[in-house]
Parts: sequence; C-alpha cells; structure tokens
Amino acid sequence: MANASVVFDGVWKKFRRGERHDSLRDLATSSVKGLFTRQRKTELSDQEFWAVENVSFEVKPGEAFGIIGPNGAGKSTTLKLLTRILRPTRGRCEVRGRAGALIEVAAGFHPDLTGRENVYLQGTIMGMKRQEIATRLEEIVEFSGVRAFIDTPVKRYSSGMNARLGFSIAAHLDPDVLIIDEVLSVGDMLFQRKCLQRMLDYRARGTAIVFVSHHLASVVQLCQSAILLRNQTVMIGDATAVVHHYLDQTSSGQITAEKDAKVTLRATLSHVDGRTVDECRPGETLVLDTWITALEDVGSHIVPAFLCNRMEDDLVIYDVNFSGAEEGWGGLRAGETMKMTFRFSCHLTRGSYNVGMNLYDPHTSSFVVKAPRLANIKVFEDRTYAGIADLAARMVLARPESERQAEDLSHAGH
Amino acid sequence: MSRLLADVTEMFQEQRQYRELLFQVTYRDLLLRYKQTAMGFAWAVFMPLVNTAVFAVIFMRVAPLDVGMPYPLYAFSGLLVWNFFASSLKFAVNSLTSNTGLVTKVYFPREVLPVSCVLVSTVDFAVASLVLVGMMVYYGVGFHWTVVLLPIVVLVHLLFTVGIALLLSMANLFYRDVKYLFEIVISIWMFLSSTVVPVERAGGKLAAIMQWNPMLPIIDAYRDVLIRGQVPPLLSFGGAALVSVLVCGVSWLMFHRAEFEFAENV
Repeated sequence: MANASVVFDGVWKKFRRGERHDSLRDLATSSVKGLFTRQRKTELSDQEFWAVENVSFEVKPGEAFGIIGPNGAGKSTTLKLLTRILRPTRGRCEVRGRAGALIEVAAGFHPDLTGRENVYLQGTIMGMKRQEIATRLEEIVEFSGVRAFIDTPVKRYSSGMNARLGFSIAAHLDPDVLIIDEVLSVGDMLFQRKCLQRMLDYRARGTAIVFVSHHLASVVQLCQSAILLRNQTVMIGDATAVVHHYLDQTSSGQITAEKDAKVTLRATLSHVDGRTVDECRPGETLVLDTWITALEDVGSHIVPAFLCNRMEDDLVIYDVNFSGAEEGWGGLRAGETMKMTFRFSCHLTRGSYNVGMNLYDPHTSSFVVKAPRLANIKVFEDRTYAGIADLAARMVLARPESERQAEDLSHAGH
Repeated sequence: MSRLLADVTEMFQEQRQYRELLFQVTYRDLLLRYKQTAMGFAWAVFMPLVNTAVFAVIFMRVAPLDVGMPYPLYAFSGLLVWNFFASSLKFAVNSLTSNTGLVTKVYFPREVLPVSCVLVSTVDFAVASLVLVGMMVYYGVGFHWTVVLLPIVVLVHLLFTVGIALLLSMANLFYRDVKYLFEIVISIWMFLSSTVVPVERAGGKLAAIMQWNPMLPIIDAYRDVLIRGQVPPLLSFGGAALVSVLVCGVSWLMFHRAEFEFAENV
C-alpha cells in the first residue's frame, strides 16, 4: 500500500486567547459587534493566534512518526485535529481506517465502576464492539497487571494502576492508525518498556503511528521520521536528525546567565590529554575549563558546583559541591577573572549529556550563576542495554575440573 | 442541499458505528444509580407518587376538581409522563458540561451523552408505569383496544424529548445561563401541560395560546389511549407529532454541525 494512512495537508488552526463570552450578556454585545464587522476565516483578530500554522505531513502504514517540540508548540492540538476532536480552520487532515487514540487513556473511566465495567465503557468509547472487548478482556487484564483488583471500583486504584488499565484497553484496539500522546510516561519502567514493545509490534504489523512525546529517547527508538513543531514546522525528516536538531537548539543560547548576572562565563571541554572533544568513550577523563569574570564582588562563602545532566530529559546524573576552602577558593573581586577547572571521569553509557557549573550563595539561597549546559558530550559505546552509569561490569567464568573443586566453587558462592 | 444530505448520512453512519456506545453509557448510568443509591429505581416511583398525594389532597379535599376520571389517576398519569420528560432534560442539560474530560479528549458522536440521559429516564418511566397499571386496576379501569396506539404516543414523546435534550445540552455548553433558565421554564411548563390541572380551565385566549404547547396533547394522548379508551384527537396530537419530528430532526442537525466546536468551548 503506497497510500498514506494519515494525511495532514497545509493545516492551520486558530485559537482564542483570554476568555470567551460565557454568559448571555456577553453574547449580546459580541453579536451586535459581529453584525458590523465581518471577519474572514483566515484572518486573526487581536485575541487570536495560530496554534498550528501551515503544517503538513504524511504517515504511511507501518511507519511511526514523531511530533516533538516545547510546551505550547501545537503538538496536542495536532493530535486533536487528527482524532477529529477539533476541526482545522484551514487545510485538510485525514485519517484512513480505524483510528485508535491514546490521548487520555482513562478519560472515560468512572470512579464508581469496577475495573471490569470500565474496560467495557472505555472500550466502547474508543470504538470497540462489546463482542470484541469480551474476547480480549483476558488479554487486557493480563497486560495491565491489575488482575487482583479488576472487580474493585477504580476510585480505589492508584493513579499508576488507572493509567495501566487505560493503556491496556487502548493497546488492544487493533487500529489501522494509532495516535499516542505522552502516555509512555505512566507506569513504572517495566510497564513503559512493555508499552514501547507493543507499539513496535503494531508498527511491524503495518499500523501507522503518530507519537507525541517529550521523552526524546523513545521517539528515536520508535519513530523513523519526525517533525519539530513550534506552531510552525521547524524541521521535518529523519527522527534522529530532528531530535538532535531540537536538542542543539535547546542547549545552545542558555549558557549566558540571567540579565543582572554578577559574573560572565566562558568554557571549553577537553580531553585530559589536551585535545578538545565533544565525544568520548566511557571511563575517559575529561576536563571542563571555565573562565569566570566577576562583574561584582563574589564572596568566599559562595559555593561552586559541578553538574552533569542527561540531555534528553535533564535527568541529574551528578551534582557536586566544592565547599571551597580545600581548593583554595577565596571568592572574586569585581573585575577579576579566574580559571576554574573541573576534572571528571566519564563513566556514562551511550547518549548525550550536558556538563556545567553553578555558583550558589547559601546566605541568600540563590544562584550567583547557573549554567548547567556549558558543554555537551556524546558518549559512544554499544555494550549496555539500558541505563546511565557505566559500571564497567565484566563477567568471569570458571568450570570445575573435579568434584571437590565443584564443591569449593559452590561454597565460595555463599 | 447536498451538504444537508452529506450531514444526514454522516449522522446515521456515526450512530451505526457507535451504536453500542449509547447502550453502554446508558447502562453505566443505570448501574451507577444502583450502586450509589440504596433505593435505586424506587426513587423513580417515589417522586410522582408523593406529588400525586399532595395534589390529590389539594384537588380532592381543599378545592375539589372534576377531571372526568378519578383524580389520583389523572394526576399520577400526568406526573408520570411529565417526570419522564423533566428528568430527562434535567440530566441532559448538564450532560456535556459534566463530561468535559470525554468531550475534550476522545472523539465519539456527542449525541450519545444527552440521548443516554433520555434513555435512563425511559427506564425509570417504564418502572414507574407499573404503579400506574396498579392504580388502573384499583380504580377498575379496564384495558381498551386503544392501548395498541401507546407505542406511537411514546415514540412521539421520545422524539420531542430527545430534540429538546440535544438543544439544551448544546446551549448549556456555550452559555451556562441555560441551566438556570431551564429550572424556571420547566416548573412553569409543568402546569401548562395539564399534568395536574386541565389547562382548559383557564379558558379564553390564554387557553387558546396554551394549546400550542406540544406537551399538552402528548400527555393527554397517554390518558386517551390508556384510561379514556379514545383515539387521540388527530389535529392536536398529529400536530404535536409533526412538531416532535421537526424539533428532533432540526436539533440533531444543529447539534451535529456544532459538535466540532464543543471541545474548544466547553
């Protein structure tokens, strides 16, 4: 099938800012106004803005398409347009075949009904037939892992259980097009992995997937292509390239501190042997040199810190304070420049990370400067399956040569 | 014209595609009623019964009124039918606004929400009707052949109720004033529909104006086919039937066309 399952063709969507007239009194005034001024559909009044502006893409069967971008970039609006909850102001959007939307997986749940009753309710809301639900009920319950509580009202569920049950229903829809909004963030790690696997299975079976997430790692894992939205299309193409473009955009330009900063910063990252790097292998020693120029006095009570965060989600990997005294830190006088060097071992697994520093003032509980993204490292390795820290695990094997040795080995294990 | 045709086809197709949803949502509401209240369906019987008792005291003891049949029978039949209409609308008016989560997050034909309110009340109506049967036996009213016309009367009544329910739920979504306005209108409307007192009693021009109320011939048609054993008057009931079909069709079309703005305005 060469035909696209999802077509989003030059779509524009207008929204209103501020409050809408909600009572009859406001209706009267606004409709009188409406009589005298006629507004064209494609124009914006001062109260309106384009949430989605001329966005186009296509998704073919068996293809997964990611939508990324900062908050308020029109990602969810795009999904609502696809699921027909909203209608575009201009342009055409079309979904061919049965669409399954995982937007708010537990939206139809009623707190007083049991898990089982809610499976039927939510399933029919999503467009399944009772018969289909009945045949898949076992699978759904099994997948959700809430079997023990399936006849308990969902108001007694934890939010995680709620979301797991909701996702399980949606995951058994068997759609031609699957539209997913940030649902992977629910549930524990194990469940998240199960969900991702489920979506990969769907993709392999020829389901077209549209996936919105802030979890960029799973976008790269699931999607072949992606779009970066900022109400308009910033970039569209290969998923990895789009994600990296997004990461580059967000990490640069944030090095400079706040407007009224007391210091200016400049930094370089290099390998311990002196060559500048932006990529390395686990276990290598790197050096972050920072030049700090004080614009005002920086007292000796200020605490410098070194930081390392994962790029995709700003997960804090390392944050260490240097109280100062032992390194000979005595503060800075206005106009003075100092080179502050942080040397560290990069025991990280493959991925992109930011390193940076900050100066903390414990007296005022505020930061003199906060620069968590001074430099960026890409770590290359292909040994680990998942995780962040490279614990450099090795496996050692021994095979017993005699019965006595075997006994010794098993005792040694205890 | 072609747009109308396209819309109508779409409306029916959607209903067919989601036909199980309507029953599932109705089932949910009935189930909830059972779970949340100790008396369940007894409430459906209790309300018209209490009202009948109150009006029976007034119009049998305080100010006796001749209605051409035992007064409790007149009042209960009127209140039973009215209660069905009023409670359908009372739930329907909030049906879209109280399901914001669904309306903004999931696509499905939104008609399901107000219409399921009407269906839930229909079940109540059926349960409470058993009491009417009991009363008819008590007052020695036999069954007339005209009872075969009952399905037509119920159908007309249902169409009218669904039409108004769609209209109200939609209006309340855009303007929350509607809910309050509804409270006032519905209590006045009850007395204008010959539920407990025949409106002909008002006489003159006033009664003539009140004849335009479609609920009036509908309620009386129930009494005709069940108690009086008459065929409902063709002109007034036929008119009401026509109005009901129109109201239902036009509101459904309006509802369908406005549906796409619900998520933005709720």
